[in-house]
Amino acid sequence: MVDFYARTLIDYAVVALGMAVAMFIVFQVLVRLGMKREAATGYALILPWLLGFIVWTAYPILASLYYSFTNYNVFQPPKWVGLDNYVKWLTNDRSFWPSLRLTLLYGLISLPIGLALSLGVAMLLARNVRGVGVWRTLYYLPAIIPTVATILLWRWLLGSEGLVNQIMSPLYNLIGMDKPSWFVDERYALPGLIIMSLWGVFGANTVILLAGLKNIPTHLYEAVELDGGGAWAKFRHVTLPMISPTLFYTLVLGVIAAVKTFEPGIFIKLNSLTTGTFLQVLVYGNAFAGGNSRMGYASALGWIMLIIIMVLTLLVFRSSALWVYYEGERK
Amino acid sequence: MATVSTPASPKTALRMRSAGGMRMRRTVNDVITYILLVLGALLVLIPLLWMIATSLKTESELFLLPLRLFPEVPQWHNYIDVWRIQPFTQFFMNTIFITVLAMGGEILTCALVAYGFARFRFPGRDILFITMLGTMMLPGVVTLIPTFLIWRGFERIDTFTPLTVGALFAWGPAYIFLLRQFFLTIPREIEESATIDGANTLQTFFYVMLPLVKPALLTIAVLSFTGNWNNFQAPLIYINTPQKYPVILALYSFSESLSKEAPKWHYMMAMTVIMSLPIVALYFAAQRYFIEGLTVGAVKG
Repeated sequence: MVDFYARTLIDYAVVALGMAVAMFIVFQVLVRLGMKREAATGYALILPWLLGFIVWTAYPILASLYYSFTNYNVFQPPKWVGLDNYVKWLTNDRSFWPSLRLTLLYGLISLPIGLALSLGVAMLLARNVRGVGVWRTLYYLPAIIPTVATILLWRWLLGSEGLVNQIMSPLYNLIGMDKPSWFVDERYALPGLIIMSLWGVFGANTVILLAGLKNIPTHLYEAVELDGGGAWAKFRHVTLPMISPTLFYTLVLGVIAAVKTFEPGIFIKLNSLTTGTFLQVLVYGNAFAGGNSRMGYASALGWIMLIIIMVLTLLVFRSSALWVYYEGERK
Repeated sequence: MATVSTPASPKTALRMRSAGGMRMRRTVNDVITYILLVLGALLVLIPLLWMIATSLKTESELFLLPLRLFPEVPQWHNYIDVWRIQPFTQFFMNTIFITVLAMGGEILTCALVAYGFARFRFPGRDILFITMLGTMMLPGVVTLIPTFLIWRGFERIDTFTPLTVGALFAWGPAYIFLLRQFFLTIPREIEESATIDGANTLQTFFYVMLPLVKPALLTIAVLSFTGNWNNFQAPLIYINTPQKYPVILALYSFSESLSKEAPKWHYMMAMTVIMSLPIVALYFAAQRYFIEGLTVGAVKG
């Protein structure tokens, strides 16, 4: 019954042993070739990463670039079709543009709101409140719950007869609005997804930002007080500049994570023609789900996502000169 | 509420003329702080409570109006029922098998690589290190399809191999970075004295260096455990046979079978609780390392 465990255990042992032998051989060969022992040891030690980089990163990137110019259904060898995947398929795929819109809007809206809320909570916790540990644990809780569990929970909470609609129904009556069918109605799908993402947002970001806030020297605040500055001045001229490197870090990671969003699109059936779905789900759907696997087109979509992430990251990096303040950096 | 107050040092307190008014404002600010914190905590806690409460309800109580948080009689047997509907014992064994192998491989190889980057000088080291950090930015989706095709070439689809063996190639540049930072803080004299005592590089690594970076290893162990436990995309792509499902895929297949007419949300929520419980327990046991792992790299840069 458990021979599938044994099979993987054998694979695992073979690769582990192979890795050890490879490290030994690299060391021996380099030393024989007259390299210093220190350098040879260094190369031998980083070998697992170096091999992994070649096999699991460099080769796949180039291969997926190649596949993106082919028509490939796994069963027949890839057939070169030039730019067809990027031009013909993309214009014919009626779920691409809605999905691009959904993915980008999701990131652009939930990211800043999430960061502002996390910063708010972090600032409250930084005020020497009693039992910081307990509060921090509490606010971190949603982030520990597996993403998948969070999504299922919110699908339940945001059902048309779910808790949120029940609690809000007096408000809906007041403004004369029907109960929204979250996720089903294209008008409410995006807000629903954003609400869901915001619930877990405090977790890691708040912990990171709190640590950043604690690193701000108090004498800076005292200086503002001496100059007669109030709470806003302290925030504007001390907190914000001093926390900006940490904000920058969370923003970069957030951009990448937002474009890569996958699980909500799988667990929540979104109408890909009207609402759109997450780009990553399109890749998965084309490559692995359903009978016809379109590896070529899926690879092209993957490359489009890579380019989007690179452009967004670059924009964040470029803009950082305007708003990120590094202490010790000369202007 | 964008106020930041700092504890007044004795000097500043003396300087303040209207100390009374100041204290008054402090108290008001404190009260507002606690009110906001409690409100936020409620927003966090109510959904969680609802999850647990739902898992203890009967099917007819699910949509009962007016709303009641807790069921009339807690239906603990929901959890037993769930275990009967799907072979959760098998799923948990699968999950633990995958998680332990992947975590072990990840920790060992990342530590070796980090040690190499931290302590040994060799040509091209800095470029390789920056390349490694750069891979953190890379969206996994670009490598997804070729990686799948590699495992398909080895005929390892529908096995645990793609989920575990890759870890032996030092998965996780963030872990390497964190461990390297730790290794850098250890004085070289310690290794030198080990060498004088006749230890070779590997002995020094295993018996001297690893024990010294134990906090970092634990941090990584916790992060890697959660990462592998919660991993959804890889099992979704590689595992087809229900017998080999990790818990997360069992959750997925059950959620797919939820019907509109008779949505068994009480079972669904019981399964989510079952899936989350080990991670929450781990978090409470290893909170210190969790927090440390999150902040290293972000704040100190």
